[in-house]
Amino acid sequence: MICASDGIETSRVSSRQTGIPPRSYNGINGQKIATTLAAMSLFANPLATPSQLYQRASASSLPQDLHEAVFVATQCLTQAAGRLLQLPQSVTAQANVVLARYWVVDSPMAHEFSDVSAATIYLVSKLGPIPRSPRDVSNVYAYLASANSQLFPTDEPPKNDPRTYYQSEADYYAFQQRMLSLEARILRSLSFDTHVALPHPLAITYLQTLDFLSQPRTTVSLRVLQYLNTALLSPQMLYVTHQPHALATAAIYNAARDLGAKMPEHEWWEVFDVDREELGFLVVAMRSVEGWMQKLKDDIPSFGSKMLTRSLIEDELKKRGLRVDGGDTAAVDEEDEVMRMMDSR
Amino acid sequence: MSTKPKSRWANTEEDAELDAKLKLEKEEKRRKKAEKAQKLAEEEAARRKAAAAQQADNTNLSNDHDDPSRPSKRRKLTPEPPSSSAPPRLLRFDPPSSSSLAPSRSVDHYDKLNDIEEGTYGFVARATELSTGRVVAIKRLKLEAADPNGLPVTGLREIQILKRCQHRNVVKLEEVVVGNDIGKPDNSIFLVLEFVEHDLKSILDDMPEPFLSSEVKRLLLQLASGVSYLHENYILHRDLKTSNLLLSNRGLLKIADFGMARYVGESPTPKLTQLVVTLWYRSPELLLGTRSYASPVDMWSVGCIFGELIAREPLLQGSNEVDQISKIFQLCGFPTDESWPSFRRLPNARSLRLPPKQQQQSATGSVIRAKFPSLTTAGASLLNSLLALDPDKRPSAKEMLEHEYFRQDPKPKPESLFPTFPSKAGQERRRRHEPDAPVRGQAVALGDVDFSGIFQGRKEEKGAGFSLRMV
Repeated sequence: MICASDGIETSRVSSRQTGIPPRSYNGINGQKIATTLAAMSLFANPLATPSQLYQRASASSLPQDLHEAVFVATQCLTQAAGRLLQLPQSVTAQANVVLARYWVVDSPMAHEFSDVSAATIYLVSKLGPIPRSPRDVSNVYAYLASANSQLFPTDEPPKNDPRTYYQSEADYYAFQQRMLSLEARILRSLSFDTHVALPHPLAITYLQTLDFLSQPRTTVSLRVLQYLNTALLSPQMLYVTHQPHALATAAIYNAARDLGAKMPEHEWWEVFDVDREELGFLVVAMRSVEGWMQKLKDDIPSFGSKMLTRSLIEDELKKRGLRVDGGDTAAVDEEDEVMRMMDSR
Repeated sequence: MSTKPKSRWANTEEDAELDAKLKLEKEEKRRKKAEKAQKLAEEEAARRKAAAAQQADNTNLSNDHDDPSRPSKRRKLTPEPPSSSAPPRLLRFDPPSSSSLAPSRSVDHYDKLNDIEEGTYGFVARATELSTGRVVAIKRLKLEAADPNGLPVTGLREIQILKRCQHRNVVKLEEVVVGNDIGKPDNSIFLVLEFVEHDLKSILDDMPEPFLSSEVKRLLLQLASGVSYLHENYILHRDLKTSNLLLSNRGLLKIADFGMARYVGESPTPKLTQLVVTLWYRSPELLLGTRSYASPVDMWSVGCIFGELIAREPLLQGSNEVDQISKIFQLCGFPTDESWPSFRRLPNARSLRLPPKQQQQSATGSVIRAKFPSLTTAGASLLNSLLALDPDKRPSAKEMLEHEYFRQDPKPKPESLFPTFPSKAGQERRRRHEPDAPVRGQAVALGDVDFSGIFQGRKEEKGAGFSLRMV
């Protein structure tokens, strides 16, 4: 046992020693930051491996567009619940990330989407400074799913009818049971790694080193945070494919472009350890979220008008002649499918 | 618009996706020249995307920067040595090597050998990993089947914090495994920790001779180094005591049991619970009910451990909160406006009736020097400063490491020269009683107790109360 643990010890030490020595940049104490981070990696996240992403795309029981719709709708739901639970965005954003990670490991169709959303926000708030009770979470999700929900505005004026979101004791108990067993399941799926490093504080630090690009501080900071928050919803799952510092840098780039701010002449993103490839990908990805949402609304009429549920998705699958069981996508009848496609042309 | 030749991305506002494609095509032309690859644009795009994800994915494999065609594979735990040909990687934010997005394993991978102890938050057993034969300590989180709040937040915090900790003086969390009742909310959760042979408390209980002062110094240095690591990383342990300090057969000390630990900001965080730290190691500001405290609470505990290492028994064994604080005042003297300017503002201090000024004269001084005659002046000054009533006057763990005491003779003994002890972790449970770590909910309001009475009594028996000075 002693030998084994020694081996681990030495390999860890050697990795630290053989690592590329940190560069020191003007204004940034690279050495200090690097040594702290090597020890704790408070600023880094576990990411999905390419094989996991491939697996997720290929073995999924859902077609790509439905998968994306489920992802975006559930992340929006989490955001709305975070607002109603009066949680700071730092907590809600972590819940978004935890949910994205969970769905890398587990199929979205395994549980009701709103339950997964509730479980992540409950779990993250519990670990943070502002815990919320299961009862609060239950009430908020019942309200969001009701006809009164402001999350899905209709043309009719909202009628505040508490009966539509009243939860009986039995309803609450059932919800609580589902949520708590999902909490355990999510934790297990992520091997209990609940730490989420958000790019938001990094982005502000980076802006400070860039002297806020000579823009009004609040304007440029706000735009950066808007990009970062929007990126949480991106079906490209940017927060599980990219590290926070890259997200922060891309958001600053985008904000600077929007505001017409003058950026440094040289390749400044390299100072923040982001290469051009990655920056380019993220800049485009962040800018495309809005269009993506619009397209979803056009393609799937029910998206954005009521809470997306598993049964809705199953109906949609049936409509398309797809079957969802055991996690494999198989056309019910290829002939029918072809006919249907030809009809729709 | 700032259209510079370098920032090609500056043109993306019109149609971002089209631009991306354009760029990729240009990229590809360059690439063709370079490596004569014949690929379609779509393939290229897909590959680049995967490569970008992979690059960010793992910096341990730090030199795949210019090799996007590398086949995808799972993250390795042992890093590859960097090859000299590759350009230096920029990315420095190392993802934690232990964490990837993968489910927990089952506890069936381990075989239990024997129980070690039962703590406040869980049971600990010695076990071996079946595939490797490695011996580990497995801590089972106490779960209540019908807990309306789900999994205990203390256990989750412990996991969260230990997962991030990598220090030789902090016990290592190897993984978290789960029981087989998957789906049940009360399915067991086990922390697999490195196995360390002893805890300091049972060694102190059993050893025939006290630690030599060179050994005390080495133990304290290791403790301070671990605590300093925790504090530098915004972690408060909040339950430091000898039974939570493990000692290996090679003299290596490790801080364990993070059931009370939590992350805090740099400035004192308001509204922390005062229900932390086992009574005998609890600092006066906690006993006086502060909700806004910081790393000095851990340093107080370090001071108590220091005293315990020398005396071989806990320094301040109060029977309850009130007794504890009066024992503290007996040892360290009464607080005055000079020695602890802000103590009057603490919630429980209002009910504190201290002896009048003139009588205090004799009682404000600390009797630590007298109580530990074997300590050198430097040692006593360190212990005195650690047990300063005013939290702001206690040294930080980092300052403690620099203290004169450790530079004086006898020098700290090298770990390898430490004596070995028969390991108790296998054979028997701990017998000696000490108070448990506080449990959530049992709010203690010092104010309920008639303080004036206690200090009334103290005033009367003034002479006897401080006869400790003579010892």
